[in-house]
Amino acid sequence: MSVIALIGFGIGGVCAFVRLIMGPSLADRVMALDVSLICLMGGITVDATRRDDTSYLILLVLIAIIGFTATVSASRFIESDQIDALAERES
Amino acid sequence: MTLVADLFMILGALVAVIAGVGILKFQTPYSRFHAAGKASPVAAMALAIGAAIHLGLVAAGILLFAVVAMAVTLPFGMHLLIRAIHRSGTPD
Repeated sequence: MSVIALIGFGIGGVCAFVRLIMGPSLADRVMALDVSLICLMGGITVDATRRDDTSYLILLVLIAIIGFTATVSASRFIESDQIDALAERES
Repeated sequence: MTLVADLFMILGALVAVIAGVGILKFQTPYSRFHAAGKASPVAAMALAIGAAIHLGLVAAGILLFAVVAMAVTLPFGMHLLIRAIHRSGTPD
């Protein structure tokens, strides 16, 4: 029964990987990686319920925070050449 | 009880598949980010409810913390990415 959930997250991960390859811009690739991280979290959760073993649930918190840090630093990087233009426009 | 938990998990997986298809199908980056930033927290929440029902109270606490950490940070990260794209001139 919960194999269907695993298959669903697998399909989500594959779609994110296809977008990672096709993605026109860097931000699309970062977003695709973020979605694949979420599918990974889903897989970990479903696997924890299938094996009735809660020792791996801490991973979810780690992946959520590390995924967020990566997304913010990537968006900061994408915006890096705009920072000086923005400063002039605002000043 | 495990049937309810399995149904919630399958619902979460279904929303994750919808997020994946939404990422692939939409043309403009705005709609892609909308699909990714909106559907994946919902998938995680539905999944966390199912897993919490199945695994008991201690796991429910860890899952709650993970879902809250993700539901707060994920839209914020997606917003920053979209603003970065918007400011550097949307490609298509």
